[in-house]
Amino acid sequence: MKNLVGVGVVTVAMALSGGAIAQQNVKVGGLFPLSGNAASAGQQAKAAVELAVDIVNGKYPDVTGMPAVGLPGLKGGKIELTFADHQGNPSTGQSQALRLIQQEKVSALIGAYQSSVTFAGTQVAERYGTPWVVGDSVASNITGRGFKFTFRVTPIASDFAYNYMDFLNDVKKMGHPVKTVATVYENTDYGTSIAETLRKAIKEKGFDLIAEIPYAANTTDVSPQVLQLKDKKPDAVIFVSYTSDTILYMKTLKQLDYKPPIVIGDDSGFSDPAFIKNVGTISQGAVNRSAWDIGKPGSVTAKINELFKAKTGYDMDDTSGRNMQAMFVLADAINRAGSAKSDAIQAALQKTDLKPEQLMMGYKGVKFDETGQNTLAATYLIQLQGANYVAVWPEKSATAKMQIPFKGSE
Amino acid sequence: MFRFGIIVCAAFLLYPFFLPDDFYGRMAAEVLLAAIGASAWNILGGYAGQISVGHAVFFGIGAYAPLLIFTKFGLPPIVGVPVGILVSTAVTVVIGLPTFRLTGHYFSMATIAVAELIRLVISNWDYVGAATGLMGPAVARTWLDLSFRSPIPYYYIFLAVLACLLLLTWHLQRSRMGYYWRAIRAGERPARSLGVPVVRYKLYALLLSAGFTSVAGSLYSLMVGFIDPESGFGILKSVELIIIAALGGAGSLFGPLVGAMILVPLQTMTNSLYGGGGSGLTYIIYGGIIVLLARYEPGGLLDLWHRMMSRRAHRADVAAAKPHAS
Repeated sequence: MKNLVGVGVVTVAMALSGGAIAQQNVKVGGLFPLSGNAASAGQQAKAAVELAVDIVNGKYPDVTGMPAVGLPGLKGGKIELTFADHQGNPSTGQSQALRLIQQEKVSALIGAYQSSVTFAGTQVAERYGTPWVVGDSVASNITGRGFKFTFRVTPIASDFAYNYMDFLNDVKKMGHPVKTVATVYENTDYGTSIAETLRKAIKEKGFDLIAEIPYAANTTDVSPQVLQLKDKKPDAVIFVSYTSDTILYMKTLKQLDYKPPIVIGDDSGFSDPAFIKNVGTISQGAVNRSAWDIGKPGSVTAKINELFKAKTGYDMDDTSGRNMQAMFVLADAINRAGSAKSDAIQAALQKTDLKPEQLMMGYKGVKFDETGQNTLAATYLIQLQGANYVAVWPEKSATAKMQIPFKGSE
Repeated sequence: MFRFGIIVCAAFLLYPFFLPDDFYGRMAAEVLLAAIGASAWNILGGYAGQISVGHAVFFGIGAYAPLLIFTKFGLPPIVGVPVGILVSTAVTVVIGLPTFRLTGHYFSMATIAVAELIRLVISNWDYVGAATGLMGPAVARTWLDLSFRSPIPYYYIFLAVLACLLLLTWHLQRSRMGYYWRAIRAGERPARSLGVPVVRYKLYALLLSAGFTSVAGSLYSLMVGFIDPESGFGILKSVELIIIAALGGAGSLFGPLVGAMILVPLQTMTNSLYGGGGSGLTYIIYGGIIVLLARYEPGGLLDLWHRMMSRRAHRADVAAAKPHAS
């Protein structure tokens, strides 16, 4: 009997693998900064994309709910990944995109973290008719250039900015006075572009922007900036900062004994695991944006986080999560296209219509407009309470009660 | 030697006809572009011996001009090329005169400081796109936009510019100017004592060098269609120009081209090695090359090659002379 079962299993396996050989695999190229000063974010994003592909290829059957698992549309075909390092350099991004398209014969591309590289690289993809799914670059001008092959899943800067304003309005409704806002931002690409969008949103939504404070992210002393804040006493401060400067700000707030009533951090530095580790105890009540929430134990997102942690040693963060989500969106389109042809995948991407329950991120869905931007992208706001971030806004996604004002240390 | 030259020229002209795909065309275009930049640096750094670590200033100005002209006035980006050259030469005079009072390391340090200063100004100046940078036409409106799908037109444009630059350099190195430059490189004080107008000739070298570096920058932004402060004015750009020139042989006509032909493909390969997992290998190789060159071959690879050739020629001479003597 045992033997018979064994023979049966072998025959079925052979039949399956025979089918797989006949079927075509689909190659996807990933472009990330795998070296240079954004290397750690790039490596994490790469790991997240790899995990997404393992899941859709059927390596983890207990992760259910994601679209296209098992890739039935490819009839046994699998998705293969190949990566290239662009070092954060737009020109390198272009030539590596070209290499992936022409030499590796990829059917689609995903990437590329820095907005500048995504901007330049998508140009090449457009010229060669290769779809490019953008997971995490937020600069607004990436879409809207009339490109047919660029698709962006992530919410962009203006989405975040209006989310913050809606949040502040809700806080106002709770009975806390919010009128004046200050922005503190690092003075390169990331900080200045977000600050510009914030400026518009703040004015449009009727708040007073009473201070805009740019600074260099590699600074070693931020007391002048904090003193400036202390002097203006805004009701809410929005920080657009990288990791080391975020830590420095929290320490300086404590030293100079100043607690703004509401502290909002724009992802990046506030999302880095080093933030909670170093200054978590003195940053209680800090609000951050994230479309990623680990969720309850046993949920799909919790399982994904477990797998990610086993692979990299870190909890999933918002940036990696957005890239992984982008890979799921691409896999769904490949599955529906049922082909390795770039045109077919592009056509399938245009028809993408994913519901919130098919997503790992907290978007309201995925549906692209004619510019290729996801119209249903959204984000949660999370708050540092104790040793972890908890989702506090919008109310229907909240897992804990919002704590206003900012407490600093307990 | 003449025949060898013809063969090399023919190889460069015909190369695109033997390409398996556009990727190799793009890489070849990048090699030529790097060679133009490094050859331009070579005029000042190689021939005149003034090691500038701030040439990214001119590269950046050249790269920004076409895209600025396009963004602000809607003109074809190529109109910005002469603008870039003009601005670069103006900047040259402003920063050249004070920095040329410094020599050796102090000159190099001053050029770094100026370049970083300008990078910071550009990063905070909204008119030129501040930290976000500028972009070119997404899709070519007319052929004048020089936005081609294939890298081959870029290849020939770059080849033509490089040929002009090398011809000019070749001419200058045999002229009085070339001798003055080499005299200045060998020692400023002795040169001055022999009547070489040192400051004036250093300024000539800087003007030429800056003008062509600016052209390299313009060609870069025409091909890539995007520029930001880091890729235009970043210190890595300056370092790249120097390493390419030094590897091939600073102060020799073809040194920068040889350097570019080795380094650019090497960089492209390391970026895709181990499926992109060869993290930072480019920088490790850059570092290694600097150390090895500084220690063993300050003259660069061409110098090494010439020495080997002359040694072999010498041996052949000796061998030929022997039977005659016996």
